[in-house]
Amino acid sequence: MRRLAGWMAVALAAALSCAPAKKLAEEVVFWQFWPAEVVTPLLEGFEREHPGVKVRMEQLTWQSGQEKITAAVAAGTVPDLCEIGSTWMPRLLAGGRLADWSAGVADLRPALRGWELCTVGDAIYGVPWVLGTRALFYNRELFARARLDSTRPPETWVELQRAAAAIQRLGHGVHGYGVQAGERYVLSKKFLPFAWGNGGEILSEDLRHAAFDSPASREALEFYLGLRRAGMTAQQDALDREFKEGRLGLEVSGAWLFRQIAREAPGLRYGVALVPRPANERGAHASWAGGEVLVGFNDAKRKQLALELARFLVRPENALALAAAAQSVQPATVGADTSAYYRAHPLEAVFVRQFETARFTPNHPMWGDMEAAIEDEVEQALYDRKSAAQAVEDAQVRLEELAGKK
Amino acid sequence: MGTPARRPGGRGASPATSWAFLSPWALAFGLFGLYPFAFSLFASFTDYSPVRAAGARFVGLGNYARALHDPAFWSALGNTALFVVGTIPFTTALALALALAVQPAFRGRSLFRTGFFLPSVVSVVVLSLVFKGLYAPNGSLNGLLAALHLPTPAWLLDPDTALPAIMAMDVWSASGYYMVIFLAGLEAIPRDLYEAARLEGATARDQLVHITLPLLRPTLLFVLVVNTIRSLQIFAEVFVMTRGGPLHRTTTVVYYLYEQAFYRFDLGYASALAYLLFVLTLALAWLQMRAVGRPVEVSA
Amino acid sequence: MSGGAAAVELRAAASPAWGASLGRWLWLGPLLLTMLLPFAWMAAISLAPRAGGSFARAAAGPWDLSSYRALFASAHLGRYLLNSAAVATAVVLLNVATAATVGYVLGRRRVPGEKLWTLGIVATLMLPKQVLMVPLYLVMARLHLLDTYAALVLPFAVDAFSVFLVRQYVLGLPIELEEAARVDGASDWVIFRAVVLPLMKPVLAVVAIQSFLTNWNSFLFPLIFVDSDRLRTLPVGLALLSQTEHSVDWGFLMAGSTVASLPVLAVFLLFQRHILSGLLAGAEK
Repeated sequence: MRRLAGWMAVALAAALSCAPAKKLAEEVVFWQFWPAEVVTPLLEGFEREHPGVKVRMEQLTWQSGQEKITAAVAAGTVPDLCEIGSTWMPRLLAGGRLADWSAGVADLRPALRGWELCTVGDAIYGVPWVLGTRALFYNRELFARARLDSTRPPETWVELQRAAAAIQRLGHGVHGYGVQAGERYVLSKKFLPFAWGNGGEILSEDLRHAAFDSPASREALEFYLGLRRAGMTAQQDALDREFKEGRLGLEVSGAWLFRQIAREAPGLRYGVALVPRPANERGAHASWAGGEVLVGFNDAKRKQLALELARFLVRPENALALAAAAQSVQPATVGADTSAYYRAHPLEAVFVRQFETARFTPNHPMWGDMEAAIEDEVEQALYDRKSAAQAVEDAQVRLEELAGKK
Repeated sequence: MGTPARRPGGRGASPATSWAFLSPWALAFGLFGLYPFAFSLFASFTDYSPVRAAGARFVGLGNYARALHDPAFWSALGNTALFVVGTIPFTTALALALALAVQPAFRGRSLFRTGFFLPSVVSVVVLSLVFKGLYAPNGSLNGLLAALHLPTPAWLLDPDTALPAIMAMDVWSASGYYMVIFLAGLEAIPRDLYEAARLEGATARDQLVHITLPLLRPTLLFVLVVNTIRSLQIFAEVFVMTRGGPLHRTTTVVYYLYEQAFYRFDLGYASALAYLLFVLTLALAWLQMRAVGRPVEVSA
Repeated sequence: MSGGAAAVELRAAASPAWGASLGRWLWLGPLLLTMLLPFAWMAAISLAPRAGGSFARAAAGPWDLSSYRALFASAHLGRYLLNSAAVATAVVLLNVATAATVGYVLGRRRVPGEKLWTLGIVATLMLPKQVLMVPLYLVMARLHLLDTYAALVLPFAVDAFSVFLVRQYVLGLPIELEEAARVDGASDWVIFRAVVLPLMKPVLAVVAIQSFLTNWNSFLFPLIFVDSDRLRTLPVGLALLSQTEHSVDWGFLMAGSTVASLPVLAVFLLFQRHILSGLLAGAEK
């Protein structure tokens, strides 16, 4: 035991004696979520443009990044520039600790999508970097086996329902449509596309009132619930797994599937399409959209450099470099789908096109609670605890109450 | 070792030595243990939000009143209670049985001891990921059940089986850990007690009931108290496997207050919820100490 | 008589014949199998990176070592391992030292209000770390300890669990040996070192195992207290290396977790012998 303690002490001393980092003249601290090998080349580009400046990047984890950001904001030990997921933005905007970048990014407005994520009134508190949305994945081989045209993905709700039902009939563990259930913070992204596409809304234009209860929302929920009969219900990762293994015909999922399919099921014959709309002459191919925003804090030390770094990172070529490496997101750049990369990757380009009809969630400080309320009620309907109409009606009541709290 | 190597002050001077033993620890404990503890108590009487520029306002007992009228809190408390009641007896009994089984010498004893401890070796996040895969509708568990022509529940997707599934995983993964603690406790029991009992013709069962179990009481108390504290704070499994769903049936108190603290940034309310849980835990621990923790007469 | 207990040798456990062990194998064997199954799952997935977390596919193969190669090719792995080892070692040493002394003092009721102290110490475990995190971070920021090794070690060196565990153990220890030593004129310190410490070996082994285990696998606090890559510990590093948005690299994560669990297993194997040292066998003769 004693010898062990000795060895441990030696190891400890060795580890501790490794020299502390040297401080450079000017260091801008950047917290972000992407793998170092993707982001570091971009940051080196920035350092080349700004001699004497060093970017100190720290990678956060998706699972617990917000805890770290929260603690740092509380203690005032914030980074100069920080990447924030759109889910956290409404509360942070309401908190009043983000730096006002209205003047610094005004000229970028026409070039980028997603300003809704970081705007309060006329003031802008960040810059959209990359965006993410959901689109329809379909298995061409199962389409063919079910005697469906594997080159023509479903465009409308009726076509979606029919295709799913036809594939469901194949049996032997094969399912038509993948309905997500059993975990939170996913469900609204699956259901809301149908509500929005059908003309449904969550809040009134001025965000002061709920506008969820409408024939459009009810009809959308009825339709969504009906998909259960032509498919399977499971958590998102289980649905993705079924799809990769060729046992699921259709599901609405995210662009992260591209990487997974390439690695785990390179032989899978599949396609990607816009989320179907209610009918050919009616509604829109709506989807959920979110994104990653670059923000600065009032407590930060190097505000000007942070803004410059943000402006550098959202340049079309830099946002594209990140998106192409990550594949799970797309650049916030308007017209990114015309770039050589997306011309060469048509399936991924569908995601960029999906943004044109996708919707950002309302930028209301209580959005987190609102999303939870919608998910609660939709889930109750999904588990047959409530009718679709009742669920929409109850969600409306809760949303109205939340909309009043600012 | 880092013990304060003071020269002892003689035979009767144990308080001085005691304080010497305690003081470095007490300093660190005050800073890293008690200060956050007191801070949270203070925060529970305010509307403190870590991300808000404006300072916290005193709201008195407002957060506590809100909690008592919050159906989501009560439902989370119900789930947590179910978790505690449904795991601790099984974990304790299994751990004790395993400890008694692997204490005496037999061929392959080390293999079993190590094997049963194995689940504790892996982080709970990774274990939860593994079990999420096992419990998937088309996962390994259902594959096995189907092969045996048994029913295949939807496990984490079914509101009625989701929490029991997480509980089963907890019993499975925690028993080996508490087994080790029981093993250490068994070592504190002087061997000659058993020898004397054997000479008097006591059976193995007599020895278990009259020597082992009574003398194991301090260890049993430790296992009960610590496991109760841990189970009342169950979080990571829920976070990884269900995020509190389906139908909030796996939303535990700590998962709920985590959402309050880091999704809604309402640390005041989260702290109040934590202190309500604290009072409950303290009451349970006190009851356990009353029931199990009577001083044990240890003499041969 | 004092120190006599320390001299008692490890019980030479003469294992009985295979036949006599069969009974235990019959009921412990199946239980052991269920305990091992998830590890088979982990290992299979770490060997079949293309299976995407599906055991059925992983079990079918083909297997290769590419996940392990990717893991060891990562430039930072060595650093993460070293950091984790250094931090866990420091925490274990400090914990064993503080738990032994404080737990002993409390277990022998040598301070006024001992019950209250014990309850107070245990009580700090009763608040979830989710609310303690922000205030603890504020302390670290105030003390300028953020992004240092001290931030990874100091808060965890005063583990209330360990103190409570040792206290409970000491309650169960026969006091006669200490009293005999005191009659012989031994000082407090000598009694502690020569009589009590050897008797506490089993529980200190558990403290060592448990604090190594918790700190080796600790994720949230090391993530939050440390910014620099050079200070990063293994669980945080693994999470960062294996994460992609909305999913994980299953093969990599499971390979990493398998490798990460080996040191814990080694520590367990090393210390478990001390749990079962059998020191009290005949100690009072």
